Amino acid sequence: MTQKAALVAAFLFALPGLPAAAAQRSFAPLTPEPSLQPAPSGMMYGVLPDPAQPTAAVSLWYRAPAAGFDVSAPAGPSHAATLPGLSRLAALTVAASTPITGTPLARLVQSVGGRFSVSTYPDSVAITILVSPEHVNAVVRAVTADYFAPVIDAAGFALAQRDVAEDAIYRSYDPPDAVEDALESALFSDGPFHDGTIVEPKTIAALTIDHVRAYAERAFRPANAILILTGNVDASAIDGAATRDGALPSPELLTRQSPASPGPAVQHTANVEGTGLGWAGPAISDEASATALDFTADALFAPKTGIVQRALGALNVEVTGKFVTYHDPGLFLVTISGADAKAALPIVQRAIAHAASPMNAAVFASARAGFEYRLLSDLETPAELADTFGWYAVEGNFAYAPAGSRYFHVAAELTPQIVARTVARYLTASPAVVTLVRARPAATSKPS
Amino acid sequence: MRAAVAALALATIFSLAARRAEPATAVVDLGGSRAYVRSDPGLALCGIALFVRAGLDRQAGDQSGLAALVAQSIASTPVNAVPLADAVTARGGSLEYAVSPQYVRFYLEGPAGELPALAALVAGVLSAPSFDPATLGAARTALAGRIADDERDPRRVGLQMLRASHYIGGAGMPALGTNSSLAGFAPADAQSFFHQWYVRGDAFVTVVGQTGAASDAASRMLAAAVPPGPPVPAAPIATREFLAQPKRLVTRRDVYAPFVVLGFAAPSLGDPDFGAALVMRTMLTEVLEQNSALTPPLLLRPGGTVYGYDTVPAFMTVWLNGGRIDPTEGLASLDAVLKRAAAQPLTAAIVARFKGRARGEWALENLSLEERTWELGNAVAQGLDADAAAHVDEAIGQVTPADLQRVAKRYFQRFDVALVLPREGSGG
Repeated sequence: MTQKAALVAAFLFALPGLPAAAAQRSFAPLTPEPSLQPAPSGMMYGVLPDPAQPTAAVSLWYRAPAAGFDVSAPAGPSHAATLPGLSRLAALTVAASTPITGTPLARLVQSVGGRFSVSTYPDSVAITILVSPEHVNAVVRAVTADYFAPVIDAAGFALAQRDVAEDAIYRSYDPPDAVEDALESALFSDGPFHDGTIVEPKTIAALTIDHVRAYAERAFRPANAILILTGNVDASAIDGAATRDGALPSPELLTRQSPASPGPAVQHTANVEGTGLGWAGPAISDEASATALDFTADALFAPKTGIVQRALGALNVEVTGKFVTYHDPGLFLVTISGADAKAALPIVQRAIAHAASPMNAAVFASARAGFEYRLLSDLETPAELADTFGWYAVEGNFAYAPAGSRYFHVAAELTPQIVARTVARYLTASPAVVTLVRARPAATSKPS
Repeated sequence: MRAAVAALALATIFSLAARRAEPATAVVDLGGSRAYVRSDPGLALCGIALFVRAGLDRQAGDQSGLAALVAQSIASTPVNAVPLADAVTARGGSLEYAVSPQYVRFYLEGPAGELPALAALVAGVLSAPSFDPATLGAARTALAGRIADDERDPRRVGLQMLRASHYIGGAGMPALGTNSSLAGFAPADAQSFFHQWYVRGDAFVTVVGQTGAASDAASRMLAAAVPPGPPVPAAPIATREFLAQPKRLVTRRDVYAPFVVLGFAAPSLGDPDFGAALVMRTMLTEVLEQNSALTPPLLLRPGGTVYGYDTVPAFMTVWLNGGRIDPTEGLASLDAVLKRAAAQPLTAAIVARFKGRARGEWALENLSLEERTWELGNAVAQGLDADAAAHVDEAIGQVTPADLQRVAKRYFQRFDVALVLPREGSGG
């Protein structure tokens, strides 16, 4: 499942000869497994058209560590080893700077009533534009031209710095977001997950236009790009994508990182309070295990109907749980926040421990029906589709994206025993535990 | 002049772009009522919305919240000891409802093949809902949570204050009622409201997604479950005239910043001026925007608009977030734009720029399956062609500077103001 737990709509393919379990719930037979194609520029692309949609999404993805590529550089007063927030700052600076065509991308999208967003993850960044169908060709041209040969100017940099700082503050007050970021950091001793994506505004202020320029040149080149078009689009829109001579020809590899040794619970000062439990899980290539943990997260933590949510009763608490299908390893992340978080923790722990035993068949069937439905309902719009396809492409298993038949085929083969075995393998070890506590306000003298 | 040049440049960029396709909605006779069906074979899911003419305007003066209590009771009616909505979830679907001034809407969504089974659950309850004390109690609890959510959103608080001031009768009442009004209803009140207004002659269905035999069967079940009866005419919704001096409505709530909300009368979906009003909406939105590198989340926007075209006559609100913009400056900017737009026609280049943006924004107006079923049903409920919303793009394209001036004069010179202020001593 993607970081946002948003999974795509349905390109399901009823293959002849599916096993009995797969035939239990068949979804509309639509499209064979999606695949990525190479473009002349070196970019990879996937087009998943649905002409009945009122809009289209153009989504440009890059393998790009959130805190920069130079993770091995020595830390010091003038040269930080990592630069948290750099990927977001770079992506927004490009969008806000004035390219040779004369109109910054963000303003171009605004002028046609579209929506422009940048999503940053520890190991990737996505630029997504939602527009009406008649603007797709122009947007494909503009977004590839602007990112493949990035123009970085001072005005765009200043605007992006302000927006990134605001976003950082905004996210730091969202308990699940803040806890997950801290958990990912605790699960690794180095690399992009350890560095995280939530930063303090002063860190953003310390980044320079030179940092951004160097990062954009390396990260945003065509060979490192994956372009996903969904919704009311025509495949010919790809023909208008820009190229760039002389750019480095091969894509970035996903950055290696070292899992942290199990240790005591970690406590951080933050803008919100909350507790997190995190486990390293299977790689995205282990489709059966990854799907089993997606299912487990949904069965336990689905809003209102999940096993944990029902067990919490009237407690004043927000609990989230998800399996994030990263390249290797995936991560199972649980966050607990709210006034009754302390009382909720043992309930959550018991439910996870219980999941290592096979579910009753009827409960399992109902949970799977709900799981499949929620996957599909998170994939209704072109933006949601692009988000999911882009995620699985950048993490290295595009054909397994839950918008194609393969994912649902694997889901149909799950059994209570398979799920229990997978939970026992990955979620019975001691988790990384992170607690966020609010900073006490500094004592101030009473004004006279 | 810079604006004109920019408009021309953008027009050139997009001049060769393809036009969007016209959607076509099929009308299916369900035997006494109709289904309006728009196929999207690219999706595995299908959404079915059942519209019943049992909205806020059916409420008498002492019935604030009764329409919502009845709808929520239906969703809370036990099916094998489980509330209906949860029973639907357990079978791999979802059931939601929404109460509007002129209708209540139940929305059922699921994989196409599962829809008949899901619809059977809903139909069973619709034909014989429970309004016993236990179900009403559960419904009140569920509504209390939703009311609390609404109360935390200063834009919604301001919007409701202004609607209550503008609309006369039930249409101006809060969609979910209040905790105290809900506490006053007995099972007989809910039963009576249901029997009076849930009639098949006033019901219809809209369907979007993976449509076919399964969705047709599900639609039939839902429509047939509404008790038989002929349509019951409703009186047009009446409104209060705006005065020359804006009425000021003030409240204090647990909000993080002061919000200022302006309420205007606005043309409804079927009005020839609807396209021009959308262009005005874009202009007002742009006045309140700050230069940004991306489309910011709502919380970080200085202001925005809400166009209530789910009601005839319609209503538009413009909100300013005092945590992001000095309200005095924001109001001054709005005032200047509104006066300028009414005083004389804007240049063709400026109008073209706003029209381009308004058309794009309209395309993004309804994206999810639920929104797309609502879009069809909202048009039908207003006596329009189901595809009326699809023709709005063309209507925006035909807006002239004179149209914009006429709309600015007719609708946007008089308004009421709601001030939603933080409580004394709270943040903000």
